[in-house]
Amino acid sequence: MMADQTIARVEPVRTEAYLDFLQMLTGVGLVAFMWCHMILVASVNLDLGGGRVMNLIAYFFEATYMAQLGGPLIALTMVFHFVLAARKLPFRAREQKAMWRHTVNFNHTDTWLWIIQAVTAFIILIMGCIHMWTVLTDLPITAAKSAHRIQGGWWLLFYLFLLPMIELHVGIGIYRIGVKWGYIKRANRKVLHGFENKLTVIMIGIGLVTLFTFFFLVKAM
Amino acid sequence: MGRTLKFNIFRFNPEDTAAVPRMDTFYLEETDAMTLYIALNRIREEQDPALMFDFMCRAGICGSCAMMINGKPDLACHTKTKKLPSEITLMPMPVFKLIGDLSVDTGTWFRGMNEKVQSWVHTRKTFEPHAPEERMDNALADEIYELERCIECGCCVAACGKANMLPEGFMGATAFNRVARFMMDPRDERTNDQYFEVVGNEDGIFGCLGLLGCEDMCPKKIPLQDQLGVLRRKMGFSQVKHLFKAVMPGK
Amino acid sequence: MDTFYTDLLCVGAGLAGERVAVAAASAGFETICLSIVPPRRSHSSAAQGGMQASLGNCCKGEGDCPDVHFADTVKGSDWGCDQEVARLFAETAPVAVREMAFWGIPWNRVVPGKGIYYKAGKEYEKIEKREMEGMITARDFGGTAKWRTCYTSDGTGHTLLFTMDNEVVHLGVTVHDRVEVLSLIHDGQTCMGVVARCLKTGKLRVYLAKATLIATGGYGRIYRETTNCVINNGDGTIVTLDTGIVPFGNPEAVQFHPTGIVPTNILVTEGCRGDGGTLKDVNGERFMHIYEPGKQELASRDVVSRWMTHHMRLGKGVPSPYGPHLWLDIRHLGAHHIKTKLREVEEICNEFLDVDPITQMIPVRPAHHYSMGGVRTNKDGAAYGLKGLYAAGEAACWDMHGFNRLGGNSLAETIVAGRIVGEKISEFLQGYEVDFKTSIIQAEVKKQQEKINNLVSGKNGKENVYEIKAAMGDELMDRVAVFRTGAELQKAVDNLQVIYDRAKRIGLSSKPVGANPELSMALRMPGMVRLALCTAYGALMRTESRGAHAREDYPERNDRDWLKRTLAYWKSEDDTLPTLEYEKPSKVWELPPGERGYGSSKIICTEDPEICTPKPETN
Repeated sequence: MMADQTIARVEPVRTEAYLDFLQMLTGVGLVAFMWCHMILVASVNLDLGGGRVMNLIAYFFEATYMAQLGGPLIALTMVFHFVLAARKLPFRAREQKAMWRHTVNFNHTDTWLWIIQAVTAFIILIMGCIHMWTVLTDLPITAAKSAHRIQGGWWLLFYLFLLPMIELHVGIGIYRIGVKWGYIKRANRKVLHGFENKLTVIMIGIGLVTLFTFFFLVKAM
Repeated sequence: MGRTLKFNIFRFNPEDTAAVPRMDTFYLEETDAMTLYIALNRIREEQDPALMFDFMCRAGICGSCAMMINGKPDLACHTKTKKLPSEITLMPMPVFKLIGDLSVDTGTWFRGMNEKVQSWVHTRKTFEPHAPEERMDNALADEIYELERCIECGCCVAACGKANMLPEGFMGATAFNRVARFMMDPRDERTNDQYFEVVGNEDGIFGCLGLLGCEDMCPKKIPLQDQLGVLRRKMGFSQVKHLFKAVMPGK
Repeated sequence: MDTFYTDLLCVGAGLAGERVAVAAASAGFETICLSIVPPRRSHSSAAQGGMQASLGNCCKGEGDCPDVHFADTVKGSDWGCDQEVARLFAETAPVAVREMAFWGIPWNRVVPGKGIYYKAGKEYEKIEKREMEGMITARDFGGTAKWRTCYTSDGTGHTLLFTMDNEVVHLGVTVHDRVEVLSLIHDGQTCMGVVARCLKTGKLRVYLAKATLIATGGYGRIYRETTNCVINNGDGTIVTLDTGIVPFGNPEAVQFHPTGIVPTNILVTEGCRGDGGTLKDVNGERFMHIYEPGKQELASRDVVSRWMTHHMRLGKGVPSPYGPHLWLDIRHLGAHHIKTKLREVEEICNEFLDVDPITQMIPVRPAHHYSMGGVRTNKDGAAYGLKGLYAAGEAACWDMHGFNRLGGNSLAETIVAGRIVGEKISEFLQGYEVDFKTSIIQAEVKKQQEKINNLVSGKNGKENVYEIKAAMGDELMDRVAVFRTGAELQKAVDNLQVIYDRAKRIGLSSKPVGANPELSMALRMPGMVRLALCTAYGALMRTESRGAHAREDYPERNDRDWLKRTLAYWKSEDDTLPTLEYEKPSKVWELPPGERGYGSSKIICTEDPEICTPKPETN
């Protein structure tokens, strides 16, 4: 046998590794943000819609300019994450058709989850931008202002729709990051997937309670 | 016992210029311990001798007979009819080129895959016929064998959303499993960068969507999920490390 | 017409074919492999147990060497083998195993320290030496003096085939998969290639080659109940027999494996018994120790199969809708052992039988397993009669197996013979040129096309191919199986001649577009019946019992009259029986005929002085 000639120094193109890594990183960042955001907004429930705790927190973020700077940064991150992740989406009709046919025929949970994520991504991109624009162009954030919007009716529907979209996207997203990067393994997949499902339900629950509080309890401006 | 099974079978012969894809229906009386191997051969011998499908070992070892059984890819030879409803729909696997009816060209696909991942031990050494073999820990031999068990049936590819979306190009779990197998083999002298050159791209591990159709459908229960995760991490993190070294030299 | 030129054409891309291809390609020759299935699906992949090579690394293999392996092989063959070849084989096997390790086989290795093993259902202790840690280990197999069978869990054939194909890919050897061979192109002296049919498009093709290798494996599908896979129809054997020039060696030497599962005839590995599994009867009692006190369950396959059949004839079989069977019991090996070392067995039992071998016994009975006979070659692998034609592996009668093959010797043969024959072909190809005569090529293509046309038009008749196949399988299974008698064999020959006549009158019932499977079967059916006739007729004429050929009317091994190899020729297409000739099985008699040490058999001794006195090895 001749010695192998295929071993040679190569300098690989690393771009796709960086992009994939960034997609994961922005994903994890956004997931963390979304959950924090939910907890912070849910602080309105702490004094049963009195709004003092929430206003205090909002004041803190604005006084430290975290909202003014962080808000747009999050928006940018979201768009960036969308662009990164969208590389994986089928844009040609033939590919879309193939993927849809596969999903329907195969009828496999994790494949459906991905479809959900892909669909929610577009919704979140549009509705998230509307939400951010509305909130960030009308600082400061106060419980009363938020309640005013929600009690107007249309915004309630807006958030009732957006809430599960985000939580599904975020919950599935973190599960799939775990799978893709090898933190969720065959041995713990079942348990962690169950945990992720419960977390999503809890988050949606918190969101609903918060919306309820805004709609019924908080005194609007 | 005593069920009458209804088979809906995909029919298309690309060599027949007049043919259009269609579904044919066949009926069979179910017998004791019937598998799809037995059923399909009976259909061919008793009802339609032109029906095309592939079997070889009929023992779940050779990987010839993978097909879509009620929507899911599996080996027909080890699929017992009693575990299926009385209406059974059989389709050829997607992604692979159709040869006819249920028969697809996995041979060409897998040869291409093996070429792409350079599925052989890369070494600078030459074989010494009369020297004793190099030692290896038995536990490691077992670990390598665990991944070596892939029979190239194609179920993981047929179950892969990405491969269905982009039938040309995407390597599939079978390729990642193969790379992982050589990575753990000390006889293979390839560096991480060389493996990266093979799988560190969108056709490779970074194109994987993590849908785990492969993991859930592998008839040999090979731990594909764990290979995908580890490979992505190894390939991804090593490049990030490389980036840090590049921007902060001297460390 | 697609025509391909190459230096070497390997018909068959299992282990033997690919090993030859690798040798020739490494020597710089252009090589094309034809395979009826993608190469990694070849039947080699189904061999579970292992590959014999006298490395002597494990404690129970200590002191092993090619001499012992040689002696085991010759005894196993019941002195029917070519001793020169058996010697060559035993010497090369360790190198071949190490070479496969070099290419990436994850052979199981020696683990030092105390270990438990089972023999004949009893537990024993062994201690592996510290200094052997990490060397290639071995397991026990039937008919061997030492533990000699190297293995990777129970997927040895699978890992060997994949690793071999890796080398084929590495060397860039061209493989045309889904191609079936229809005939050899030759002028009576030289082989020039083959006419083949593409099983993707159904079109005929011509392959022209300086050297052609037949490595199509066994032809077990002529039997009704066989462990062989569905492609083992003997295409390569048929096309060489059809030349009328190349003999079919020892067609009557057919091995039955003791443990085919009932009813599907899937094999469970000899490793089950090698690792200490036992055979039990209807009362749940062992019986092999009664018949074979020494080797018990681990006597050679022919012997175990006979005693099992005998025991069932005594009414000790377990009745079932599929006829009587016996039990294979591996429960005492424990869940861990079964789940690691015998994993395929567990899978096969679970998936095809609904039996859990950890808690239940496995229904088994002897099933056709291996063809010792095949294309007769010399020790270089060159077929008798045609220049440029070679054979290797199960398809060949290279003849290291004689009348019975030892477990673990067939995987070993593929690699070892592949290595040796590959080198010999490379030597042959050096500077060799051949003239391809277009007239001969055209005539052969025309002949095959006509055959197809006649099948399609139904010109010769409307016989159903599957009915003929079933009739042939029944005939062999019922009359040319584990035990044989003159009367039954005569009946088999008579009936097979009728079946052969029908096989010439097959007509298709489907539209033959593309790779029509009925046409494939119809094209080879007359050839398969010819193989069946050779098997039955060879068995009828051999009035003795040797190895797997057990004549109840001639129970003794007759070295005086029958220490010879059958060479069957099919001289003319109009013949209804083969022409049999005989030759001495070996030129060298390093180990003169004697007792095997298992399987009680009377021996009529030979008086040939050349054979009786041991001779030093000649090379």
